[in-house]
Amino acid sequence: MMRLKIKLSLFNLLSKLAFTALFLILMPYIIKRINLRHIDNELIQKREQVLTLISNIGIEPFITSDSADAFGSYNILKEEFVSIEKVNLSEDWNYIEVATRLIEGEEIDYRVLNYSFMIDGQTYLLEVGKSLESILHTEKNIKKVMLLFLVFIISITFLTDTQYNRFLLRPLDKIKNKLKRISDPSLFDQTPVKTTTSDFQRLDSALRELMEHINILFRKEKEITINISHELLTPVSILRSKLENLMLREELDPEIQNKIEESLKTVHRLQSLINSLLMITRIESHQYLREDTFPVKEVLQDIIREIDPVAEDAGVILKQELNDDLMYKEANRSLIFSMFYNVVNNAVKNTPAAGEVKITGNKKPGKFIVMISDTGKGLTEEQKSKLFLRFKMRDKNSGDGTGIGLAIAKTIADFHKIEVVVSSEPGKGTKFSFIFSLNS
Amino acid sequence: MNVLIVEDEKSLATEIAEFLKSENFLCDLAYTGMDASEKIAVNLYDFVLLDLGLPDYEGLDLIREARKMNSEASFIIITARGAVEDKVKGLDLGADDYLAKPFALTELLSRINAVARRKFNVSNPDIILGDFTVQVQSRKLLCKGNEVELTKKEYDLLQYLVLNHNRVLTRQQLYEHIWGNMLDDQYDSNFIDVHIKNLRKKLNNHSPTPWLETVRGVGYRISTEE
Repeated sequence: MMRLKIKLSLFNLLSKLAFTALFLILMPYIIKRINLRHIDNELIQKREQVLTLISNIGIEPFITSDSADAFGSYNILKEEFVSIEKVNLSEDWNYIEVATRLIEGEEIDYRVLNYSFMIDGQTYLLEVGKSLESILHTEKNIKKVMLLFLVFIISITFLTDTQYNRFLLRPLDKIKNKLKRISDPSLFDQTPVKTTTSDFQRLDSALRELMEHINILFRKEKEITINISHELLTPVSILRSKLENLMLREELDPEIQNKIEESLKTVHRLQSLINSLLMITRIESHQYLREDTFPVKEVLQDIIREIDPVAEDAGVILKQELNDDLMYKEANRSLIFSMFYNVVNNAVKNTPAAGEVKITGNKKPGKFIVMISDTGKGLTEEQKSKLFLRFKMRDKNSGDGTGIGLAIAKTIADFHKIEVVVSSEPGKGTKFSFIFSLNS
Repeated sequence: MNVLIVEDEKSLATEIAEFLKSENFLCDLAYTGMDASEKIAVNLYDFVLLDLGLPDYEGLDLIREARKMNSEASFIIITARGAVEDKVKGLDLGADDYLAKPFALTELLSRINAVARRKFNVSNPDIILGDFTVQVQSRKLLCKGNEVELTKKEYDLLQYLVLNHNRVLTRQQLYEHIWGNMLDDQYDSNFIDVHIKNLRKKLNNHSPTPWLETVRGVGYRISTEE
């Protein structure tokens, strides 16, 4: 995975390098072509100058009829030469070639223009030459300048492109940060991101609409939860009051009293179920606040105090090894209490007399771990997989619980982003680990 | 004491009234918010039991109205909405207590008593149980002049039973009173049995407690001679 900004810069760089490479491959050929044409034009121009000179002052200053048949002139470094000689030709010459000339005992390669012309019935051959070495030299100079220019242009455009990309992508970064910061749709920052790019504007407004939509759904769910709870709890309430009033009659037959009590128990179970489901729904739709700060140790000690009399009565030893403590922030104390309470209570219930339930609190690098272990009958793999499912753990022999306590504990842990790990060995016991991350 | 019961469920309202009448309260009923608003304006009530889920009225508005009219009535909110915000808002507006439906009638009585003690300075007489004296006002238990040390939970249990003397209280009613509604899954009858057992043990060290009865299969009762 790579960031868009880096990808764009990388592409920018690679495309420029490819362009440079192509240019470097083609440049010598192009420069050679341009240079040759330029040289040839120069040679033709020189020929015209010589011919103009001859037509003005005649051929005699160069070649007299008796002295010599040829005239030659070159500059000191032998880069250029001009020569005129008498020849006998059957056809007109006018071409450019590369040829070797011997000048003062030195063989030099020239680009030579050959041109034949006739004066007074005599054919003359005019040769204008330029040394290949000087041609190559010019070529080299051109190459150098062009390369410098190329490097300059490429680096300038690369820098400006990268900067512009960064500027262009800034709104995208902002949108990304908006999403990163939040853990809940209701916390989404609804102020629009400033941008002149319509794509980003569309992305931003689509996100905002989506978040608003989710918020509305959450609100609706909240309302539905409240309405259902009202609808269900009101009849339960009527039933309960009627039964309680009946129970208060003094002349009641013990058998009838018993039956009423049993009915009340059933009403209680119903009430307890509705309230448990309501609690889970409320937690899941974020209706609880997380704004308490408290030491976890204190909560655990409260719970131990609550449960200890019952454990003692059942002959179960409730042990605590709270070596470290955690000052827990942005949490809901009563929910955290419920979470640990349900698990500890469950552990005590599932441990036979003379067994032991141990609660430990330890700091580890980057985390704080609360472990609740018992010496009960343990869990099979199948039981373990169904442990946190609602109603699945209901054990007909385990008293009045609705079997939803552990599901509530898990929901609370998820709400607080606490990791729960269960390990168990049938016959030996069960261990619940609550892992608080210290990084967030 | 005068109580207005504002509850749109007639059947529930009459049950509450029946119970409170047996406790010598004078009860008025209002099934709608309009009706309640008029009755509060005309009559003097000590208590208003207010259901927030009225079809025609925002229940909390009734508290605002009453406060505007300088009504002295104490409001106890009873609601099935159970949202935390409702509770906070209600108490902010000056409601004296908050009960989530469904509640035990005996719990309602206990709350009314607590508010009465706090607001109207109603002094509860000491209650004699054999050799024991429960000083409700100062939350103390004495035996032949000596104070008996009890934990907070044990005392709460005892006082709840004393308040509802000669009535059987079920384990669930007792549990709810002590632990509230929060631990909804844990209607664990064992909890109450253990605490009663410990309470009895402590008391029996001082003097026998024939008045603290276990009603088989139902719950517990404190019997006093009228």
